Amino acid sequence: MTLAIHTESLSKRYRRHLALDDCTLAIPDGRIVGLVGPNGSGKSTLLGLASGMIAPTSGSIEVLGQRPAVSADQLARVGFVAQDAPVYSRLTVTDHLELGARLNPKWDQAFAERRIRERGLDLKQKAGSLSGGQRAQLALTVAAAKRGELLVLDEPVAALDPLARRGFMRDLLDFVDELEVSVILSSHLLGDLAQVCDHLIVLANGRVHVSGDVSDLLAVHYRITGRAGDPYRLPADAELIHTENSRDESSVIVRSTSPIPGAEAVDLEDMTLAYLTRATTTGPVGPTAAMTGADR
Amino acid sequence: MIWLAWRQFRAQTLVAAGALALLAIYLIYLGSEIRNFYDTRIANCTQQACYLARLDLRATYDDAISVMVVLLIAVPGLIGVFWGAPLVTQELEQRTDRLVWNQSVTRTKWLAVKLTVIGLASMAVAGLFSLLLTWSASRYDEVIGERFAALSFGSRNIVPIGYALFAFVLGTVVGMIVKRTLPAMAITLIVFAGLQLLIPTVVRQNLMPPVTDTVAVDANVLNSGVGMNLKEDNTFDIQGYTANGSWALEFSSPLYKADDTPYRGEDAKPCLIPDDREAGDACTTAQNLHFDYLHQPGHRYWTFQWIELSMFLGLSILLTAFGFFWLRRRS
Repeated sequence: MTLAIHTESLSKRYRRHLALDDCTLAIPDGRIVGLVGPNGSGKSTLLGLASGMIAPTSGSIEVLGQRPAVSADQLARVGFVAQDAPVYSRLTVTDHLELGARLNPKWDQAFAERRIRERGLDLKQKAGSLSGGQRAQLALTVAAAKRGELLVLDEPVAALDPLARRGFMRDLLDFVDELEVSVILSSHLLGDLAQVCDHLIVLANGRVHVSGDVSDLLAVHYRITGRAGDPYRLPADAELIHTENSRDESSVIVRSTSPIPGAEAVDLEDMTLAYLTRATTTGPVGPTAAMTGADR
Repeated sequence: MIWLAWRQFRAQTLVAAGALALLAIYLIYLGSEIRNFYDTRIANCTQQACYLARLDLRATYDDAISVMVVLLIAVPGLIGVFWGAPLVTQELEQRTDRLVWNQSVTRTKWLAVKLTVIGLASMAVAGLFSLLLTWSASRYDEVIGERFAALSFGSRNIVPIGYALFAFVLGTVVGMIVKRTLPAMAITLIVFAGLQLLIPTVVRQNLMPPVTDTVAVDANVLNSGVGMNLKEDNTFDIQGYTANGSWALEFSSPLYKADDTPYRGEDAKPCLIPDDREAGDACTTAQNLHFDYLHQPGHRYWTFQWIELSMFLGLSILLTAFGFFWLRRRS
C-alpha cells in the first residue's frame, strides 16, 4: 500500500522552540485526514514539512513515496493551501487561473473555471478585494485544479463563518470524490472535521497523541461510567486515557484492543477531547501516562 | 513561469517604458540642439571664436547634461531599491511564497526566471538611457573632453548596464537575507551608493597600471590652462595639466630643469616679463623645463569601460550564485 505521508522521528526546531517533536506517522493513501490540535501544537509545521515549504531539523518525511518538493514532478503531485489562503492581491481571479495553468502540467482548466463559476466569483475581480471565504475558495481551486494526488489544506476554514464552514466541507467531499485525491486538512476544532475525515491525527505540544483510521480508532475506545469511587476492572492491555469525575458519577475513556464488558462506545469528539485533555494536563505522552487496570 | 514574472512586473515595466519614452524625446531634442550649435559655431571655427564658442557651449548645455547625468547615475540605484529589494521580500511578506512555491515549478527555477526577466529589463532600461545620453552629449563630450571624469565615465556607453544589473541582483539578494522590504531597500541603497563612490575615487584608477610620461614644457602646455605654483621650499609645481583625452591622476607635479634639478624661484625670475605674456612664455619654453605626467592614456577609455562592465557583471554573477545557495539552504 502506498503511504500518502510517512514520517519517521520527524522533528522541527525553531531556535529554542521545538515545534514538532519526534513524530512518526504512516498515513495511508486515499483518505481524508483530519489533523486536530490546539493552536501552536505543530499542525502548520507538520503540513509545512509535508508540502516542502520548510525542511526538517531531524528525522525524515516522505510524501507519496518521495521527499517533499524535491522536484517539479513531486511538486505537481501535491496541492497546498497555506493558512489564511495567500493569493496575489494585485492579480485578478483570471490571472490566478492562468498562473495555475502555466505553472502546472496537469492543470484542469475546465474544473477550475466551473468551480469559480459555481462559487460565484467574479473573474475580473482583483484577489485583494475578495472576502476571506472567496479567497479560500480561489486558493483551494488553484490547488485542486493542479490535479495532484494529495491536497494539503492548513486551517482552510479558520477564516469562514460557521455556515460557510459547513458549505466548504460539503463541497470538499464532493470534489474529493470527483478528483480521487487524498486530503489532509487541519483545524483546531474537531467539529469542523468530524463529518468529513476518515482518518484522524491528534497533535498537541508538537507530538502525535493518536493517529489512525476513524473506524479503527472508534473500535478500540470505550467509555466506562460508574458511581464515583466505585472500582472498575480493566483488561490487562487497556490504557486509561482520561477520567472525568462529577459529584456522584465517574466516567473514564479507555483504549483497549479487547472488548470491555459493560463499556459503551465512544464518539470521535469525546475520544479526541480525552486525548487533548490528557495532553494539556499531563504534558507529552510517555509510558507513565499509560495506566493499566493491572496497576489498580 | 516567464509569464508570471512578466505579469507581476507589468506595472513597473509600463512605468519604466513611459519614463524612457519621455527621456528619449528630451534627449533627442537636446542632442539635435547641441549638434546644431556645434555645426554653426564650432566646426570650422577660428582661434578666438573657437575659445568663446567652447565656453558658450559649456555654459548653455552644462546644466541640462548634468541633470541627465545625475538621473542616469541614479537609475541603477532606483532599480536596486524598487525592483530588486521587493522581488523576494514582497512574496515573503504577503506570504505568496506559499502559493507560488507549491506550483509545479522548483524554487530554483522560480528565482532563475525572475532574475533573468527583470535582470534583462534592468539592463535594457539603463542601456537604452545610456545610449540616448551618449548620443545626445557626444558633441559636447568631444569638445569638453572630460570623459574620464567620475560622472561622465559612469553615465556613458556601456558601464551603466553593469551598474543596473548589479544593483538589481544586490537588492534581490539583500532582500532574501533580510526578508523585509524596507530594511532591504535601505541596505541596498547604502551598499550601492557606497560602491558607486568608492569605485571612481579609489578603485577605477588602479584597474590598469598608470603611465608616467615626461612632458616638455612648451607653448602648447603653457597655453592649455596650466598654472605654476611656487611652493614654500622655493621650487615650482605645474598644476592642472591634462593631455588631450587622457586621465590625469595627479593635479600638480614638480617642474624640473634640463639637468633634472628642481625649477627654483630664482630660475623663473628672468622670465617674469610684466605685460608681455608671449615673451614670458617664450622665455620659459627656452629654459627646456619638463615634468612627470602620471596618467591613464586616452586610448584606454574603452578598455576601462569594458573592465568596469565585466567587473560589475562578475559581481552580479557571484551574488546570484550566493542567492541560489541561500535559497537552497533555506528550503
